[in-house]
Parts: sequence; C-alpha cells; structure tokens
Amino acid sequence: MRRWLRWGIGGVLTGVPLLLAVAGPWLVSGPGARSRAFVAGDGHPLGTDFVGRDVWQQVLLGGRTVLLVAMLATVLAYLVAVPWGIAAAVSRHRWVDELLMRPLDLVLALPSLLLLVLLATIAPSGSPTLVAIVALLNLPGITRIVRAAALEVGSRPAVEALRLQGEGWWRITVGYVARSIVRTLAADLGTRFTGALYLVASASFLGVGVPPDASDWAVMVDRNRPGLFVQPWAVLAPALLIVALSVGVNLLFDRALATRSGPGPRPGARPGARSGARTETGSGNRPGPRPEPQGAAP
Amino acid sequence: MSLGHYALRRLLVGVLQVLVVACAVFLLTEALPGDAAVALAGDNPDPARIEQIRRVMRLDLPLAERFWDWLAGLFRMDLGVSLVSQRPVAAFLADGLAPTLVLATLTLLVLVPLAVLLGVVAAVREGGPLDRAVTTVSVALHAIPEFAMAIVLVAVFGVRLRWLPPTAVGVGGDLLRHPAVLVLPLVVLLARPICSISRLVRAGMIEALDSDYVRHARRLGLSTGRVRLRHALPNAVAAAVPQLAHTTDWLLGGVIVVEAVFVIPGLGTALVDAVAARDLPVVQGLAVFFAVTTVLVNLVADVVGFRLSPRTEVVR
Repeated sequence: MRRWLRWGIGGVLTGVPLLLAVAGPWLVSGPGARSRAFVAGDGHPLGTDFVGRDVWQQVLLGGRTVLLVAMLATVLAYLVAVPWGIAAAVSRHRWVDELLMRPLDLVLALPSLLLLVLLATIAPSGSPTLVAIVALLNLPGITRIVRAAALEVGSRPAVEALRLQGEGWWRITVGYVARSIVRTLAADLGTRFTGALYLVASASFLGVGVPPDASDWAVMVDRNRPGLFVQPWAVLAPALLIVALSVGVNLLFDRALATRSGPGPRPGARPGARSGARTETGSGNRPGPRPEPQGAAP
Repeated sequence: MSLGHYALRRLLVGVLQVLVVACAVFLLTEALPGDAAVALAGDNPDPARIEQIRRVMRLDLPLAERFWDWLAGLFRMDLGVSLVSQRPVAAFLADGLAPTLVLATLTLLVLVPLAVLLGVVAAVREGGPLDRAVTTVSVALHAIPEFAMAIVLVAVFGVRLRWLPPTAVGVGGDLLRHPAVLVLPLVVLLARPICSISRLVRAGMIEALDSDYVRHARRLGLSTGRVRLRHALPNAVAAAVPQLAHTTDWLLGGVIVVEAVFVIPGLGTALVDAVAARDLPVVQGLAVFFAVTTVLVNLVADVVGFRLSPRTEVVR
C-alpha cells in the first residue's frame, strides 16, 4: 500500500502532463476560431489567451516541444559526453586528458542561463538550436562523471588482465569500460533529464530560441502574464503542468534509484550518483562532480 | 602546501580563467547578429548616418584592434561606454548590482542557517518522519523551474489573496524600503538551494556522526551537543561549501528569470536588455563581472572548505 502511494504520487504527477504532451496534439482539430483576448469561460473551458486563442487547445498543443527538446538535448549530450569522457579517461598521455577536459571548465565558469542567453542570440532561433545549446550546457557535467567512472573502472585488475591477454584497445574500451559504467550513468540520468527540462522551460520562458506566439507551456506562461488579473488560468494551467512534470519526473527517478539500490531505509541517499566523486582526480579545482547541478540553474 | 600558498596559486589560476572567459565573451558577442549602428540609426536609416555612427563608435576598426583596446581598458578597470546611451558600463553595473546584491545577501542570510538546521535535524533523527518528509519535499521542490513556481505564488498570494504585491513595478532600485516586495522573490530563490544544501549537510552529518573521531569524542565523555556542534558539524558543513559557492555565484549572476518575473532591475535584467539592444560593451562588461565573481566565490569557498575540514583534498 505504502509502496503504491510512493510510486503513485510521482506517477500521477508525471502521467498527466506526459499524456497531455504526447496525445494532446492529436486531440486538436485545426486552429480554432479566435475570439477576444483574455476572456474567461464563454465556450472556452480555460478561457482565451493574449491573442484570443483557446487556452485548453494551447495546453494540448504546448507540451510536446518542451518534452521533446529536453529529451533530445539529454540524448545528444550523452552521445557526445560518453565517448569524450572515456577518451579522456583511457588516454595514456596526461596532456590528452587535459586538452579534452580543460575547455569544458570554461563552460562551467559562467552561469548557464547567461551562456544560454548569449548563445541563443547568436544562433538562428528554433528548436534545433535550443537542443544544441541545452546539450552543450549539460555536456561538462556528464563528461566529468563519465571520466570519473571510467577512470575507476580502467584501474581495475580486470582491465590489466585484458591488456595482458593482448585484447585490443577497442575491445577493452568499448567492450569492458563503456559497459561497466552504464550503471553509474543510469543513476545520473534522472538529474540530467530534470536539469535539461529546467533549462528548456526557463529558456522558453525568457523567449530564447522560440517564436513569441509559439504553442509552448513556458511561452504561454510568459505571454499570458499581462492577463494574470483577468484570466489567471491562461498562466496557471501551463505553469502547474510544468511544475507537475518536473516534480513527478524527479520523484519517479528518485524512487527508481532507491529501489534499485536495495530496500534500504534511506530514500535520500544516492549511492550511484555520488560514487564517482571521490575517485576523480586531476580535473579542475572543483572537488568532484556536483550531485545537484544548480547551474542547470543555480 | 600551506593555506597562503594554496590561495595564491588559486588566485593566479583565477586571473587566467577570467582572461580566457573575457576573450571568449568578446568573440561571442562580436558574432551577435545585427549591427548596433543600424539599430541606432532609427527606422529610416540613412547610409551616411550609419557610417558616421560606426566611426564614432569605432565599429569600423578591425576586430583585433578593438579587442586590444578593450583588453587594455579592462586592466585600467575601464569597461567602455554603452553604445545605446553613452553611459559608462560601470554605471550599468553599479545600478544593477544594488538590487541583485540585496536579493543575494538576504537569500544567503536565510538560506545558510535554515539549510544547515534542516540538514542537521534530519541527520540526527535519520530515517525518522521529519527526515523522510524533508527528503521527499526537497526531491520534489528541487526540480521546479523558478518561473513556474514564481508565477503560481504570484497568482495565489499576489492576485487571489492580495497579501503581497505581485511584482516590484514602481519600486525602482530601492528594494529595502519595500520589504513586502521582497517576500515572494526570496521564497522562490530559496526553494532550490535549500533542498540541495540541506541534503548535502544531512549526508555530511550522517557520515561525520558515524566516523571514528566522533566516536572517540563520545568515549572521552563529551556531551552530545558538544560533539555534534564542535566536531561533527564543521565537517558536515564543509561538504556543502562547494554547493553553497555555486549558489552564491548563481545569485550574483544568474537569477535572470526571477528578476524577469518580479520586474526587479538587477544585473540579470540589465543583461537581457543589453543583449536585446545589441549593446555589446554592456554585455561584455557584465560577462567579465560574472566571471570575476565566479572565480572569487569559488576561491573563497575552497579556502573556507580547507579551514573547516583540513583533511579534504584541495590540491591543484
């Protein structure tokens, strides 16, 4: 019963926005008729928005971009970071390691939203740009964790044995090291995805990389703000959906981690996510990868 | 390595870091699309007028020369003047700094005691109801983007209940005179850092309470309170110091979203406005300022961490 409750809250909080985001666009049949801006009721279940569109329809349409951009950005970041981090970890030469890791410190040295605002004004606006930028901002953190995990795995006797057996570089690196760090990376995935979601939503709210009248939950929150006194649902509905999605996803991942690491009584402890912290050596002045990337905001 | 040596070396690395960031930002902002001269010439631009503006602003000089001038100015603490309003960039910084500093200081003043207290209480009764509640709430709160939380709070407390002003419109830079304006932004700013820091303190405290030196202190007959406060707590706090530095850094530069929601004329707003107006010197000046604060905050954090918990490895 209690277990059901624990999974249930996260499940419901994630499920509702997820369902709306995925299935919503199919439920909308063509652009509806426009009426006056910020009307409450009057045939519109949630009223109308700043240009007179039906808010409910916009809610149905607006989840897909947020979710898709965050997912693609996370996937892209992993696709680049995993080979990058492993290459830095397994290289025999120290300068290769430094050459690969130092440029990433530069990305970490500035607040991520500042970088995001700067980069987005240079690049052409659009979802692919946002995917690329969010992936770039997530890259240093993931690469550090990959590197730390791969360093730890690479110093195991098993790797030495493989080397003595005369196995090739490819087989050792991809066949053993890369496969061994999958668990550590999986433990970190939840944090990364919520971080991406956070960045994508905040960027869209600031009007970065999206058209000003886009059907997007975060854009809706921003654009409908002038009507907060007249028609609060145009702002509250998308805002609450974003809150529910972020909270739900985080709760679910946390639950999954706690369950996977055994039925221990410590729901908050994250053994996997922090195991790399102590083994990391020689990369920057920061003591290990931060367990909670606030820079993905704070 | 002694503390002084260590700090000095970190400082040199920090200066280098700021220089690299400054160069990167200069090149990035030069790549911004749109031309300030065209933007300034107005709706119906006359080519001769654009040329004239370009010359006055020295936009016609080659990139390398302008970069060199700018860098030289940096060493004299001269950040140049705004392209749009001809005000010195330093004045923009000074204007934006006051509200940002007020928010950051107040947030930290509430954050540190509260987060440490929550973490310690949760750790001392590990697994108890309070611990579980704190952990679950912090997992949930941590993920929420500030703008979504801010707008929900504004809708409830500002619009529906009318307890607090919904934005800081009309207050100007003088936030301290109107404390009611500050309540909602503070709550929003506190939400995420409190979660991460109290979690780290909790983990550090649990580890410290379980360690040999605490057990030894107990065997010596020291009181529980003394063991917890004098022996376990510093190490627990040391675990959270890097994250605290990160939060401070974020508060000093990155709270663009919160300033946008509550219409607070701080540094974040200054940056967004400057980027929108293609006001390159202001953008560059702000970016350099943010880089300097990042380096300084991290330096202070490492030194404090070194003092609190000398065993911690801070080499390199």
